[in-house]
Amino acid sequence: MCSERNVCVVVDGVRMTAVLQQPGYDEERLRQAAEQLPSREVQAGMLLSLMGEPDQYSYPSIFIYGHQASGKSYVMQVLLRELELPHAAVSCVECVSAALLFEHVLRSFFGDDAASRLPRSPSLSDFVRVYRQQCSQSPAKQTRYIVMEKAELLRDADANILPAFLRLQELVEDNITVILLSEIVWDKFRPNTGCLEPLLLHFPDYSKGELHQILSRDRHPSYSAELYSSYINILLGVFYSVCRDLRELRHLAALNFSKFCEPLLEGRAKETDTHKLWRNIEPHLKRAMQTVYLREVSSLQWEQMQQMEEKECGALRGLSAHTHIELPYYSKFLLIAAYLASYNPARTDKRFFVKHHGKIRKTNFLKKNEKTSNHLLGPKPFPLDRLLAIFYSVVDSRVAPSASIFSQISSLVTLQLLTKVSHDDQLDAPKYKCSVSMDFICAISRTVNFDIIKYLYDFL
Amino acid sequence: PGTPRTPSIPSRSLPARQPANVLEEARTRLHVSSVPESLPCREQEFQDIYSFVESKIMDGTGGCMYVSGVPGTGKTATVHEVMRCLQQAADVDQIPSFSFVEINGMKMTDPHQAYVQILQELTGQKATADHAAALLERRFSNPAPRKETTVLLVDELDLLWTRKQNVMYNLFDWPTRRHARLVVLTIANTMDLPERVMINRVASRLGLTRMSFQPYTFKQLQQIITSRLNKVKAFEEDALQLASRKVAALSGDARRCLDICRRATEICEHSAAALVGMSHVMEALDEMFSSAYVAAIRSASLQEQLFLRAVIAEFRRLGLEEATFQQVLLQHQALCRVEGVQPVGVSEGLAVCQRLGACRLLLLESSRLGLLMRVRLNVSQDDVLYALKAD
Repeated sequence: MCSERNVCVVVDGVRMTAVLQQPGYDEERLRQAAEQLPSREVQAGMLLSLMGEPDQYSYPSIFIYGHQASGKSYVMQVLLRELELPHAAVSCVECVSAALLFEHVLRSFFGDDAASRLPRSPSLSDFVRVYRQQCSQSPAKQTRYIVMEKAELLRDADANILPAFLRLQELVEDNITVILLSEIVWDKFRPNTGCLEPLLLHFPDYSKGELHQILSRDRHPSYSAELYSSYINILLGVFYSVCRDLRELRHLAALNFSKFCEPLLEGRAKETDTHKLWRNIEPHLKRAMQTVYLREVSSLQWEQMQQMEEKECGALRGLSAHTHIELPYYSKFLLIAAYLASYNPARTDKRFFVKHHGKIRKTNFLKKNEKTSNHLLGPKPFPLDRLLAIFYSVVDSRVAPSASIFSQISSLVTLQLLTKVSHDDQLDAPKYKCSVSMDFICAISRTVNFDIIKYLYDFL
Repeated sequence: PGTPRTPSIPSRSLPARQPANVLEEARTRLHVSSVPESLPCREQEFQDIYSFVESKIMDGTGGCMYVSGVPGTGKTATVHEVMRCLQQAADVDQIPSFSFVEINGMKMTDPHQAYVQILQELTGQKATADHAAALLERRFSNPAPRKETTVLLVDELDLLWTRKQNVMYNLFDWPTRRHARLVVLTIANTMDLPERVMINRVASRLGLTRMSFQPYTFKQLQQIITSRLNKVKAFEEDALQLASRKVAALSGDARRCLDICRRATEICEHSAAALVGMSHVMEALDEMFSSAYVAAIRSASLQEQLFLRAVIAEFRRLGLEEATFQQVLLQHQALCRVEGVQPVGVSEGLAVCQRLGACRLLLLESSRLGLLMRVRLNVSQDDVLYALKAD
């Protein structure tokens, strides 16, 4: 543990000397930006050298890709904000139509009245026309940047949007650079008719050391840096194998820190007793992996639980434990019948549900080639007739096929316990699928005293 | 507001240059837009249409005629010529006066616009499509004293097709009215258009007065060019014959033939020869008829050529004309090793593939599918092999 930390510190020392350098920008601002970008110096430096001096033309489009939480938008944001460059930050999720996108870009560069010059449903050429008008009135003194987050959604927009934004510099004849941020590689973006290729820039994942370094930055002011650093070390030791997402790790670190400090507050341990602290926190973190990381128990509940000493963590039932729902009597049988119809092959129905089916030899019955279990392959669709036939055979009493039975079927569909496979408008012989889990159906059949395992082909 | 101005474009500051030498003279004469006074080789068709329209005008009845033929056989030019001659005859009072209306299916944004344009040309009125249809209906079905015959030319008839075919139906129904005095001349490219796309009640109203324009033979093409040139000595005899024979063999399109001759005069001018010879025409023909795909494959990069070879190899292996990108990439990498080139990665391979797709040498699916994208050739395998072998 200690040796690893020492390595980190050494790497730290080396990195601190690498300051962003680019002529044309204020030294002080560059230094400030570099301070905010731990372990992204290489990428930021690369970006800066691509951007060039503020009045120089940059490459028309830059495509930045990397995993979730690898600092793509953060680096762009810090650079553009700290160096005070004119930019428009666009989130493609928000821009559901091209009109919103155009409006946003124009508004951030030229103000509100420019955006109002666009017609009601602007086309790309309207945007270019308005942009050029505005641009001739206030030409760019510095490179303008459009940063588009979640750029993969641009592929779903009109076919001409992505190619046009890739060569926007040429279209509007202005010093403008479009920066696309995405988690998807460029190969899956390229339109079939070709386009101007952007410059590709990859943001690699943070290594364990880098994560440690970044997470250690937001330490608690009332504890020493070493303590927090060792806490992060323990945290990464538990979670690093399942999660490398900086955002998630930071959330976990904040959530569990108070538990980590408990022995210190109670005086059971000193800050140097790393082993004791580790012994205290480790089972806690293991449990946290099952509950908090999957958002089974909300973060607020988790914190409340840590306040209450007597209540054991994880004792509270999470979201996924609430699978039990109350259904009417016949609905339960309908659901059971649907489950049987979905997971049993139709040719076995006779053996399971007909009273005097004659003698069927087992060798005939069990086909040798059916090795994979139906529960692995997923539910199969079945027609309504089969559902009703199984339903009548599993329900003991006589049930009239009344409207209420049929309306229960359709409300099971609305509750998403059944899925309709055939077309919505089909009235005769519609097909359904059962979409509930094994545990759920076992619980249901227990309430009506029906042994479902006996009737399932897979468990014969 | 005063009277609306007639639409016009700004006039030239300098007058257009007069042709300076024989070749330039020949070029202006060979231009597709300079329609000559008389149309050679279409005398029979001219006569047929002329007598058809003339008899209708004389009798004061109506009728339809369907003119078909492949592009560049002089359909529109002949009909226009007929109308000009009839107009002259009407001016000297040989036949009763008539009005001539022309619409073109290609110039309309919507088939129903036809009503609006006809009404506007007939009366100068502006109306919506529905209203115009009602007005025309009234005009053609009600008797009126001193009504003159209307000749309506409908070019590119196939574009007036709608799902209910009501535009076509009306156009052919109006001439059958007793008081309509309407002659409809329709032009389209395919001979069997009435049978193929029109429903029965429309086709029957169109009637059986059909005329088809045959493609020009090489003699006719030669005659057309000589009549155009009109004693301007710019071409060698053999050169003219070569151009017309080549065009007649391929399509019989007069416009294409004129274009080739014009291009040949340009080539001749660059080579500073006095007369257009065989070699110039050959060069022009090569430019116009040779396939751009072969040239594109030849000038493709090494990896692109390798990819095309991989596509063909994969097709041979599968026995199908379609493969996924993944399969082709494996072939490509194997080929790279055979050729002693560094094998490409998936991204590079995709870039190569999509570049070929953007040139339409390959037909690709959406790039989102990645490795599962299916690849087909847009050119024949023989062309690819020929182009790759030649270098």
